[in-house]
Amino acid sequence: MNVDIHANRPVAEDPAQSSDSVIGIVRGGETLKQHRDRLMVATKSTGHYAGLQQLPLRENHPILYNKLFSRLRAGIVNARETAKKIAASPIVEQEGELCFSLYNAAGDCILTSTGIIIHVGTMGAAIKYMIENGWEENPGVAPGDMFCNNDCLIGNVHPCDVHTIVPIFWEGSLIGWVGGVTHVIDTGSVGPGSMSTGQVQRFGDGYSITCRKVGTNDTLSRDWLHESQRMVRTTRYWMLDERTRIAGCHMIRKLVEDVIAEDGIENYWKFAYESVEHGRQGLQARIKAMTVPGKYRQVGFVDVPYNHEDVRVPDYAKVDTIMHAPSEITIRADATWRLDFEGSSRWGWHTYNAHQVSFTSGIWVMMTQSLIPTELINDGAAYGTEFRLPKGTWMNPDDRRVAFSYSWHFLVSAWTALWRGLSRSYVGRGYLEEVNAGNANTSNWLQGGGFNQYDEIHAVNSFETAAVGTGACAMKDGLDHAAAIWNPEGDMGDMEIWELAEPLIYLGRQVKTNSGGYGKYRGGCGFESLRMVWNANDWTMYFMGNGHVTSDWGLMGGYPSASGYRFAAHNTNLKALIAEGKPIPLGGDDDPENPTYDALLPGAVIKRDKQAITTEEMFADYDLYLNYLRGGPGFGDPLDREPRRVAEDLNGRYVLPRFVERMYGVIASQDAEGTWIVDEAATKAKRLEIRKERIAKAQPTREWMKAERGRILRKDAATQVQQMFASSFKLGPRFEAEFRAFWDLPADWTMLEDDLEIPSYGAKHHMDISELPDVHVVQFVEE
Amino acid sequence: MDTHTRNVRNVQVLGIDAGGTMTDTFFVDADGDFVVGKAQSTPQNESIGLLESSEEGLANWNLSLDEALPSLLTGVYSGTAMLNRVVQRKGLKCGLIVNAGMEDFHRMGRAVQSHLGYSYPDRIHLNTHRYDPPLVPKHLTRGVVERTDMQGMSVIPLREDTARAAAADLIKAGVESIVISLLHSYKDPTNERRVRDIVLEAVKESGKAIVVFASADYYPVRKETHRTNTTILEGYAAEPSRQTLMTISDAFKGRGTKFDFRVMATHGGTISWKAKELARTIVSGPIGGVIGAKYLGATLGYKNIACSDIGGTSFDVALITQGELTIKNDPDMARLVLSLPLVAMDSVGAGAGSFVRLDPYTNAIKLGPDSAGYRVGVCWEGGGIETVTVSDCHVVLGYLNPDNFLGGQIKLDRQRAIDAIKTQIADPLHLSVEDAAAGVIELLDSDLRNYLRSMISGKGYGPENFVCFSYGGAGPVHAYGYTEGLGFEDVIVPAWAAGFSAFGCAAADFEYRYDKSLDINLAPDAPAEQRAEAAKVLQNAWAELTKNVLEEFRLNGYDADKVKLQPGYRMQYRGQLNDLEVESPLAVVNEAADWDRLVDAFNDTYARVYAASARSPELGYSVTGAIMRGAVPIPKPKIPKEAEVGRIPPSDASIGTRKFYRKSGWMDAALYKMERLLPGNVVTGPAIIESDATTFVVPDGFETFLDGHRLFHLRQF
Repeated sequence: MNVDIHANRPVAEDPAQSSDSVIGIVRGGETLKQHRDRLMVATKSTGHYAGLQQLPLRENHPILYNKLFSRLRAGIVNARETAKKIAASPIVEQEGELCFSLYNAAGDCILTSTGIIIHVGTMGAAIKYMIENGWEENPGVAPGDMFCNNDCLIGNVHPCDVHTIVPIFWEGSLIGWVGGVTHVIDTGSVGPGSMSTGQVQRFGDGYSITCRKVGTNDTLSRDWLHESQRMVRTTRYWMLDERTRIAGCHMIRKLVEDVIAEDGIENYWKFAYESVEHGRQGLQARIKAMTVPGKYRQVGFVDVPYNHEDVRVPDYAKVDTIMHAPSEITIRADATWRLDFEGSSRWGWHTYNAHQVSFTSGIWVMMTQSLIPTELINDGAAYGTEFRLPKGTWMNPDDRRVAFSYSWHFLVSAWTALWRGLSRSYVGRGYLEEVNAGNANTSNWLQGGGFNQYDEIHAVNSFETAAVGTGACAMKDGLDHAAAIWNPEGDMGDMEIWELAEPLIYLGRQVKTNSGGYGKYRGGCGFESLRMVWNANDWTMYFMGNGHVTSDWGLMGGYPSASGYRFAAHNTNLKALIAEGKPIPLGGDDDPENPTYDALLPGAVIKRDKQAITTEEMFADYDLYLNYLRGGPGFGDPLDREPRRVAEDLNGRYVLPRFVERMYGVIASQDAEGTWIVDEAATKAKRLEIRKERIAKAQPTREWMKAERGRILRKDAATQVQQMFASSFKLGPRFEAEFRAFWDLPADWTMLEDDLEIPSYGAKHHMDISELPDVHVVQFVEE
Repeated sequence: MDTHTRNVRNVQVLGIDAGGTMTDTFFVDADGDFVVGKAQSTPQNESIGLLESSEEGLANWNLSLDEALPSLLTGVYSGTAMLNRVVQRKGLKCGLIVNAGMEDFHRMGRAVQSHLGYSYPDRIHLNTHRYDPPLVPKHLTRGVVERTDMQGMSVIPLREDTARAAAADLIKAGVESIVISLLHSYKDPTNERRVRDIVLEAVKESGKAIVVFASADYYPVRKETHRTNTTILEGYAAEPSRQTLMTISDAFKGRGTKFDFRVMATHGGTISWKAKELARTIVSGPIGGVIGAKYLGATLGYKNIACSDIGGTSFDVALITQGELTIKNDPDMARLVLSLPLVAMDSVGAGAGSFVRLDPYTNAIKLGPDSAGYRVGVCWEGGGIETVTVSDCHVVLGYLNPDNFLGGQIKLDRQRAIDAIKTQIADPLHLSVEDAAAGVIELLDSDLRNYLRSMISGKGYGPENFVCFSYGGAGPVHAYGYTEGLGFEDVIVPAWAAGFSAFGCAAADFEYRYDKSLDINLAPDAPAEQRAEAAKVLQNAWAELTKNVLEEFRLNGYDADKVKLQPGYRMQYRGQLNDLEVESPLAVVNEAADWDRLVDAFNDTYARVYAASARSPELGYSVTGAIMRGAVPIPKPKIPKEAEVGRIPPSDASIGTRKFYRKSGWMDAALYKMERLLPGNVVTGPAIIESDATTFVVPDGFETFLDGHRLFHLRQF
């Protein structure tokens, strides 16, 4: 039987309906808390969202249901397109780093625009936090209210994603919410830029706002305006971003009011709940159609190289560590599924930790790009998925001090594994077109600040990263310089716009040769921008990306993309070199192992190494900074790549000639015009030779394992690898047990952080946000 | 269309809409009577199809080409040849010179080009994204050492030897055209023009006929990908079109015309085929209808018009507000971002031929975005289509006459449509075939209605301020559906709906428009002298653009005193990235008070487009661009004006009845022949008014009145 989605009778007529006879603001008379509690109980007991075992509106009036759906969805998309033009920040206006979502009264998402749809869940978590913590009573929720939130301890991704949340009322009762989010350019954190690296605790992450009521009667409060402006460096961007969010929210609120006026509140109300259950069923149908039941295991890693002179953090944080994210996808025969991250490593003293909501909600960004690319993106998918994130891991921290400002460093590295898991399933079902070897590491992040070319306090945060290479498919190459996992509608933007926003002149922008992973189908290449500081004062910049570790992997014989590195040059003497008409660095850093820039800059201080994360470093005019945007991983054995495609790669400069013979077994040479031509016969012979070498080098798995086991027993591994396993073992007993069983380790073999000669603050002593007085956290995952 | 044959006609205006498959011609005589001709397009030599189409049209008036053409005063061409050349990458071998170090930027494109024009699901479906090949390949791109910053200051002086080397390389490579685009050249074009002159010199020395284009001479606006793409269109695609247009012009002159053809341009005016900026004639068909609506509106006194056009594949909407077209400055076409002023027109992939499917995973009804095109639907066996289309629903519900589709050229099979709808849509949704088909139509109407509404509210207006014009082959079929309940001031279906685009071409102004980027920034409390100075900077830019506009007209033999000038500007709150185009309330600006007038006009517009709460005057103001438009008077089609004869349609207009299904019930709809209805006639629904090229549906609860201009007015009781 169907559970009603609203209280049947007004509370006044039926006091029994409400236990404490409080008259709530939700349509039908419940309080927000009563309403959500009832829906959650019904969801749990039936396995259907809100207990909706039937969808009466959808089943009996499919045309009306579809009409409501398409009108609301189109209106929300349109609000995003219109509102973004108000913004001044190229991050919002040019890169589309904004999103609007519509929620029902319980805070579950009905529909969303495109954009950074990770926030479908994070804004919902904020609404649920308000519901669970009595916001209805104090500070109150009334028509015309506006709430602002960017608190990562209740689910936000990182503080620079700022939410505006507006309740929607009809005839005096609350019927839903609308949320808007933009990625702001600065949050007043320790260093300038939205995702700074220098802090190791949340208190250095910048301005943190917890579902604060910032306006009433559609007007922002003056105390809020004054306070918020002085909390950030880039005031104008902040202000116009807020207006963008408010305008979009108000457009959508108006849309909902119009829809109700036309089609009736009863129909809208049903739609607001049925659509979520519909979304849940939609996910299940896709899983059924696209995948093969079973267990899929994969793993992701990325480096935190903090034991370095250019990483200026406290001693207890100055350690090299590795993020560990093993994952297990279980797809059951009834097309329900579970994602378990047992064995993940602990949170750390850096800015790459993530809240459970951003971790799980973000997974939908990835899933919508392959498993459920539909117009029906809402919280139904979240209700259709079981997550397990062990408490204390980096994706579910148990300490209220943890910093989040660049949680994406870990998120993108953990999720790239899920593409591989799903892709194996797609191959099993023959959906080769849907296969994707994984997302690239979305870096480097060029950030910094100081006084800009307009002589104003400024922060920069280049979003060229929105166009890294994509993973290869099982029937075509990945796309070059195209998209980012957090926003498939990628774009690198025009140089002339970035030069307006940043006091940095382009001396080069070109395809990053060799950055895509090798394969039968190669990963998409990234690109690189060489920037010269120009018209800046008291300026700093820093690097942020993977360096020692390739965070994506290849699939089925394909290679990972190239990892990161940094290039910066100070005291370049470029001013004189330019005046004298001498050669100067222009274009890309074609082959970092055989660099050409460096020799053109005699006497310069050059930083060229694998230290791809740094903290604020001083830069002066004529200094150089290379922004290298990563490539994607490859698919299939490179020896199977059609030789003519390799020649195209050579001619297009997508691969360095010196790797072609070794990796692809292709013999090619240049003709008089410089065009690369493949020698078919020699290539055939070379490939045969490589295959023979492979066989010669191969050894039985058992023998290889025996040697590896010896290394494990001797603890023959770098300290950061030992630390990673030690923290994973501590938080994941099952992971440790499986590891011990797999390698047949004796009982006295242990791997403990205490035994390592590095600081381990946080390993034993921690205090969760839930321990604060009067705080009720909302639990979204199994721990 | 006129059916009254007269002995003497003074045929004055010719409009041409040369599409990929059909070429339409539209002739208007001195009395405002008009006739439409249709023929298959002949891409190899377009003039053949054009002459055939003209012959076919004029035959309705019993006129031969030789009789009619000499009396023509003017003719306007609009076609898709240039667009097709770009889409099919069949342009000239073009070379590109950019800043050294940035040689890859054109071939990299902007990543947004990998998903431009995609539907919502495909935009997020990463594996569907793809790049088209660059217009200029890497091996024909060269760099010159130079850098100018955003303020126009030199960072690296031009090293002229690199320019000479680049020119020599490209000439040697055998290019047919060379495009030069340096960063921030819109701000200071000195270096780019120096490179241009070096290249021109080298070309001259080589003795080859290579055309050279510097971006600053054509599209001096910020955003290098947009500017470069557009300038490349000049070198890659526009030059061949110039040849085509000359051939057409000559072919018609050979048959008696005495004028140069004008060409429909993206900004909504027409320009000569001799114009410098020919790339802006890349515009495709639907724009003609918007111009036609604007002209009709200006003649009949409608200031705000929502133009709606439904063909087989898409629904196109454009708005005319206060008699002005809405212009988009960085539009995209053919999956390229451009910097042309383009009449803003939004399209949804939903038309009469759109496929109707149920999502296999969610059972949601999906319309389009792909369509059966000329193959109609399952109802036409010869089309080979197996998926239900909107047209199938039309046939089942009695909207269309299966025996008179395209004037009876194609016979449709209603039973095939019924069977397909039953298995594909009705049964899975547990609906009857009629209710499923009616549901699809209702959904389509609702989608289009929402779309219209959101466009109008996006401009800060409500539908009650607008007259809706409905045209295109399927516009009149759905006019009632997508306007129902919106409260438009009036809904108008021209009797010549199917030829409306060609009519619009004939009605377009002879107008040039030039744009220039500016960077005028003023604090909110800027003193009077700064405001006066800002006004002067804008005035100087207008003066420079005026020179360009007058030069274009001079090329076509018009003196400056014949040209009517209209200045405009683009303004934003300081620090924003999006500006708004505002028509200047003043012809000349010099003083602080003038500046204040410009600011007021901008603030009014801003509040209308976004929200009053989004206004940010405390940031100060920036003028980002100057605009100058100039027009000369040109003969245009006269709008017919016939006397109204009475409410009752003549008996020969009535051609029977047909079963018609709407809102869960069958009814008998009266059928009329559109051409036989007379001014003053009123037709009450349910009725269907048919002509060969379109069907006008007047359901129960509606009536329509035909006025003396042969415009149907649709009213809801």
